[in-house]
Amino acid sequence: MTAQRYLSAAAVTVIAALILSAASTLAHHATTAFYDSSKKVEALGKVTKFVFMNPHAYLYIDAPNASGTIVTWQIELGAPISLKRTGWTPETLQVGTELKVVGAPSRAEGTYGMCCARITRPDGSPVVPGGRVTEERQEEKK
Amino acid sequence: MRATVASAAVLLVAFALTPRLDAQSQPAAPDNPPDFSGIWDGTTRARPVNSDNVPWTKGKNFPEVNERALAYMKIFDEAIAPKYDCQPATPPAIEYDPYMMEVVQWPDRVLFRYEKDDQLRTVWLDGRKPTALDFSLQGFSVGRYEGNALIVETTNFVFDITGFDDYNGIPSSSQKRVRERYWRDGNDLRVTVTVDDPMFLRKPAEYTTRWIPAPKGSKLSAFNCDPESARAAVKFLPARYK
Repeated sequence: MTAQRYLSAAAVTVIAALILSAASTLAHHATTAFYDSSKKVEALGKVTKFVFMNPHAYLYIDAPNASGTIVTWQIELGAPISLKRTGWTPETLQVGTELKVVGAPSRAEGTYGMCCARITRPDGSPVVPGGRVTEERQEEKK
Repeated sequence: MRATVASAAVLLVAFALTPRLDAQSQPAAPDNPPDFSGIWDGTTRARPVNSDNVPWTKGKNFPEVNERALAYMKIFDEAIAPKYDCQPATPPAIEYDPYMMEVVQWPDRVLFRYEKDDQLRTVWLDGRKPTALDFSLQGFSVGRYEGNALIVETTNFVFDITGFDDYNGIPSSSQKRVRERYWRDGNDLRVTVTVDDPMFLRKPAEYTTRWIPAPKGSKLSAFNCDPESARAAVKFLPARYK
């Protein structure tokens, strides 16, 4: 399989990733110390910033907290160097886009962080249309 | 005359006994060393992602640490981990980072270029030895081919408070020694990584893992670790110390 074909397949995979889970593997640090995976929080709001830098991309959205106050949520994603190979770009999530994000909340009191999030349109539809494909293992060398 | 002959004999004997440093320090490279060159995929397509239980698995190959290590681990605060300031991982952790890696084989050295944190490790095959000035984060690596394998021995690391792995807060000292044995298994590249550190481990620990060939046309990208992004999540840790 050529790199181009691989990227094409991977690009479709990322579409599923955008629907299902933005960062199932963080690979830079353990998530449990930072986020409580036994809980789920939801944020519904507009993108204010999308930082696409290694070792982790971050999505920022302004959305209400549990008491209804608008706060800035910081959603941790994977490493851009890996995300790029599955089709992500710095323009994938545009400022002003309305999103629904559901994920594990940050642990420190008074913070609004999330990881391992599912990102969709507010109605639950995919951010980018498409479907999942199963990646083939690359048997050949170079 | 007799004295002259005796002197000459002494000189000849001395010359014969003088260590031939150049010959000893430059072992001949094999004519056909095993081919490990190319770009290798160490992502989740090749193996499970690293975590606090991978590749060091409790009840299996998790290291047996000594009391000094336990003391460090007890006071360890995740927020102080140097990776949150973009300090790169080191052996034995860097080999398991879930990214691409490139191997270049030259007659006198093997280069391991890691996409994660833009790291380059040089493994010297020409018999050179580290000096007292050669301590560094990635240590000093020497290697040799043994049959179909490449053996890499790395010493001269600097102290690293998370120098064993990225997840368990186990430190490593300047006495850390890491041995890597690379070999081909079909299309895969495999390695057994063995680490010893008498300052922190009761006995050596090891894991074996693999890379798969990267797709044709793959190239490594610059990582350009951003310190702000590296530390951005640390505020989500409940404070351990005031």
